[in-house]
Amino acid sequence: MKGAQQKLSGDPVNATSTTVVPMAKQGPLSVVIVGAGFAGIGMAIKLKQAGINDFVILERDQRVGGTWRDNQYPGAACDIPSNLYSYSFAQNPQWSRAFSGAPEILDYIDGMVEQFGLMASIRFNSNVQGMHFDEDAGLWTLPCRDGARWQARSVVMASGPLANCSLPDIRGIGDFTGKVIHSARWDHDYDFSGKKVAVIGTGASAVQIIPELVKQARHVSVFQRTPGWVLPRPDYRTPAWQRRLFERFPAAQSAVREALFYGHESMALGLIWDSPLTRALERFARWHLRRQVNDRWMRRQLTPDYRLGCKRVLMSSDYYPALQQPNCKLVTWPIDRISEQGICTAEGVEHRFDCIVCATGFEVSHQGSPYPVTGVGGRALADDWAGGAQAYKSVNISGYPNLFLTFGPNSGPGHNSALVYMESQLDYALQGIDRILRDNLRMLDVKPDVQKRYNAGIQKRLARTNWNSGCKSWYLTPEGFNATMYPGFATQYANQLKGIEEKDYVMVPA
Amino acid sequence: MANIDLDKMLEKVRGSQWQLSEIDWDAPGAEMITDEQRPKLTRFMSDLVWIEHVGARGFAAMAKNAPDETLRQLYTYFHAEEQRHANAELALMRRWGMLEEGDIPTPNTNIRLSIEWLDRYADDLPYHVLGSVIPALEVALDGALCKFLLDEVSDPVCHQVFAKINDDESRHLGVGFTVMEMQGHDKTLLQLVQMITPAVDPRVALGLVVYWPLLNKMRDNVVAMGLSEERLYGAMKKFEKIGGRTAAGRRNPFFQVISRHMKTVMDREQWLYHVPVDLLVKLTDRIPERLLPAVPSWVKELTAEPYA
Repeated sequence: MKGAQQKLSGDPVNATSTTVVPMAKQGPLSVVIVGAGFAGIGMAIKLKQAGINDFVILERDQRVGGTWRDNQYPGAACDIPSNLYSYSFAQNPQWSRAFSGAPEILDYIDGMVEQFGLMASIRFNSNVQGMHFDEDAGLWTLPCRDGARWQARSVVMASGPLANCSLPDIRGIGDFTGKVIHSARWDHDYDFSGKKVAVIGTGASAVQIIPELVKQARHVSVFQRTPGWVLPRPDYRTPAWQRRLFERFPAAQSAVREALFYGHESMALGLIWDSPLTRALERFARWHLRRQVNDRWMRRQLTPDYRLGCKRVLMSSDYYPALQQPNCKLVTWPIDRISEQGICTAEGVEHRFDCIVCATGFEVSHQGSPYPVTGVGGRALADDWAGGAQAYKSVNISGYPNLFLTFGPNSGPGHNSALVYMESQLDYALQGIDRILRDNLRMLDVKPDVQKRYNAGIQKRLARTNWNSGCKSWYLTPEGFNATMYPGFATQYANQLKGIEEKDYVMVPA
Repeated sequence: MANIDLDKMLEKVRGSQWQLSEIDWDAPGAEMITDEQRPKLTRFMSDLVWIEHVGARGFAAMAKNAPDETLRQLYTYFHAEEQRHANAELALMRRWGMLEEGDIPTPNTNIRLSIEWLDRYADDLPYHVLGSVIPALEVALDGALCKFLLDEVSDPVCHQVFAKINDDESRHLGVGFTVMEMQGHDKTLLQLVQMITPAVDPRVALGLVVYWPLLNKMRDNVVAMGLSEERLYGAMKKFEKIGGRTAAGRRNPFFQVISRHMKTVMDREQWLYHVPVDLLVKLTDRIPERLLPAVPSWVKELTAEPYA
């Protein structure tokens, strides 16, 4: 271990995988973290704070930030207040807005890398091609596209559920001769002024992009398949006194964070389960729509016909006004196909554009990992997850020892900050890694029956949630299996991850 | 039960979409419309455009109330397809010199009132009611009006357009009759009563006050244009025959009510119905323009332009 640690500390700050010493000489690391987004960076901080320094972060891109590096479209921002959409162990008193934009969030991640001295541990351009567990040695091997092979006693898969973007599955998408931009791969060099632009999708990214595009483009047509429930987003510029207060008295920021946490926690009652609060939130969303949209037909087209909470609730105060600008049009006709010059809809009209913006989200990994993962006895994760992804407490998977997931199956929040959930996962993973190192374990593997029981309970609870109430969403597989969301409060989720229960695991000494 | 697999039908509908741009609107044939035909044809086509457009709004309401996702998607397509038909008919009117660029025909008072009523209440209308009314109107449209038009007009572009429209309408009818039968299938008397109960609603009553004169006016308009009453009877017989071909279809109380009503509308001898309804037509004709509600924004979606 020590050898690996010394070599790591000697690496240049912006080291790429080409500088990596072959593993045979370097020896296995304690931990490999896959992905340098919020989760990977958070895990690295936790490891460092626990005194575990022989780890690397394998990042396929050339910079850190994950989702926030990729999603730099105009208007990109968090829809949970920044004071809660941040780590409790790395609070930022200087947030410029209540809901900060993507560049500021990316700066925050960069700041953490600098503050905790993580740059030396990151291997950029390291695109993991697979993971294989050797049960005799108790080691994971991770080959990368550039030929490097990393070995570690434990792995934290922090690849993120929203890492791969997907173009919509519409006939003729490849035929369009104009510009196609995906919201998660924004082309900042493209000049929208004077352009006729189509936006496909009306989800969380779209409601942020559209108000900005309407300011720049000659005309914007918004193609909507299903309207979302939209609640106002109380965004504001943070006053200087507040920033000074948080700077001088971190406890004040922590208190605000706590208040925000419990405020959001109470929303679970309406967002996750069908309750009078759900009706109240629906009424509030309808009021928001009525207040902002005068036209009855447009209001009808923008009113969802599924229960609030079933799909992700959108937060925006400027989406509806943008749709009503003279240079914007909401199109609700079904899309037939994409032609060379535009989008053909079922009312028989070909809508022609210079540019199509696809705000159509991500390929969420419901049934498999982004790369082959081979566990004990050569079992493949893709096979184990063929019927839907399952894990134990969303962090461990039976048959895949010493492997820890962030944002694993059934860890998604519908009402609170994803980072609150993530912190619990990181602490749990740290406990597992610590146990492996401290007790010199070859394998720490969750028992299959424990995992099975856990998931049966989760699915039983999910059946009673709004997510499983009949609408189609990215939370569900096409077959309707919910491998994405956690059916409970953030507090419940955190409590179950407070400590590793030995009886739930098989622990094999080295 | 009709043997239509609705999931397969949805796939078929998806695969059968067509665009206005597929028609050569400047192809020869427009000159075949005679000066004698033109005024009557203008009125006929205007009515046709508005029937399609109002039908489109009806499908939009059905999509909102559909009992499952497949039907919801089917009705969403049908809504768009009826709009496409109205758009194509507008394009024909423009081709024949009946409309200036960007114009749409002026709706009569009864159409205006129907549009207003649909806009306000159609989404709350019991699904079973629309599920029976729309096939009846489609049969009338498909079985009488369109055939009449094709007999009268020789323009090959018109025939090309209506071949496509009729293809779409046959799918609409297939789904419509299947749904009517589904609604009557295996229903106990109590369930049938439960089906009818939501229709006892003042909004439905108001709808009838708007809908009955509209039908009477349209019927008289098309008959005045030369459409024989036999054709209308024939169309209604088709509705009765197909809708009532199975016990399940016949058990649907809305099928029974609507088929009887449509027969009454077609039969001018039924004075007990026609005298008060004709009075309503006269009364509605007297409503001053300024008192009519503004047309909703969905009407502005009508376009004869293949490209936007």
